[in-house]
Amino acid sequence: MLPHLGAAFNLARWLTRNDHDAEDVLQEAMMRAYRYFDSLRGEARPWLLAIVRNACFTWLRSNRPAEIAASLEDEKEQASEAEGPEALTARDVDRRLLNEAISALPAQFREALVLRELEDLSYKDIARITDVPIGTVMSRLARARRLLGESMRVITRASRGEVHE
Amino acid sequence: MKPEQAAKLLHAYVDGELDPSASIELEACLAGDPALRAASERLRAMSAAIREKADYHAAPERLAARLLESLPDERKPRAPAALQRRWLAAAGVFAMLAAVVFALLQLAGDRRDEERLIQELLSTHGRAVLAGRMIDIASADRHTVKPWLSARLPFSPPVVDLAQEGFPLAGGRLDYAAGRPVAVLLYKRREHAIEAFIWPGARGAARLSRDGLNFESFSRDGMTYWLVSDLDPRELDQFARLLGKSP
Repeated sequence: MLPHLGAAFNLARWLTRNDHDAEDVLQEAMMRAYRYFDSLRGEARPWLLAIVRNACFTWLRSNRPAEIAASLEDEKEQASEAEGPEALTARDVDRRLLNEAISALPAQFREALVLRELEDLSYKDIARITDVPIGTVMSRLARARRLLGESMRVITRASRGEVHE
Repeated sequence: MKPEQAAKLLHAYVDGELDPSASIELEACLAGDPALRAASERLRAMSAAIREKADYHAAPERLAARLLESLPDERKPRAPAALQRRWLAAAGVFAMLAAVVFALLQLAGDRRDEERLIQELLSTHGRAVLAGRMIDIASADRHTVKPWLSARLPFSPPVVDLAQEGFPLAGGRLDYAAGRPVAVLLYKRREHAIEAFIWPGARGAARLSRDGLNFESFSRDGMTYWLVSDLDPRELDQFARLLGKSP
């Protein structure tokens, strides 16, 4: 299971947004994983990531309650995703701005995006890890990408504006 | 399929999560709808941009040690390879007996031996990860990795470069498995690593999963290959085929 330490840390780091808290949360999650090791069914990576994810959200609830509340509210609003995201191409995107924009996403959307794009997990695995139906995974990803596209457009313009002025 | 429905399923389509019949329907919509096509291109571009440029936060080196320290004793990985090394040292005294056992180990194709080997590869893999010692010689150049390994092993492992096929070589290390020193080549596939354990000898092919890792083995030109990776079995098989037929 320790072979999945990299994935576990990456998820915890993206959810807590700093190394120190990620390590603390991970330590607790790993203890829990070892205690419940016998409950492991199927693949180890989604199972471990589910434990890490839950530890992160417990941590967020007691340390960043505003963030969780805000992201739940966001989810209720039903905007159209039909337009798809803004244009964003690997060649032109500024690495730092992209990372900042992902960091600024509400936790639920950030988590869906990290699990999908960085861990390359299937909707089924993401649903299992985040404990929501597959349909919710799909709508969260759609929302995450739309929000990311919007904020990239805004911050890219802002940063260009600063350069020119 | 109605346009609203097509737009809704676009993410699943781009993510490769639609079933084949829905994919075909959606592709028909895409063919007739330039705006939808543009949206799907934007989604693909964004996904590629994130995969290429978003940080993949690597676990700090001290973290594995810290976690291991805090675990209850019975869960700490055992060290069968170290035990085996001690056993081999003792066997030096009973050289004849050791030779017989070794020959049996080499020839044995039954499941118990395979299972033992898999447990051993799992432990070896786990230890390498924990100790942060996946690579002894870090190089993408097979002309650097091969001589380094050959100089330290009683055999010369074949080292091929599969960067063109999307499996770049990351390096190699020495390890101990199946009762002998073995060569381990490290290949990368996106953020996944593939370990290829190589030693002389031939045995039957196998493909299986254990503890979330996938294994595949085959023999070629008098060498036994065991691949260990968290890559999905399909891609690992693709890699095995490339490795098996490379010149």
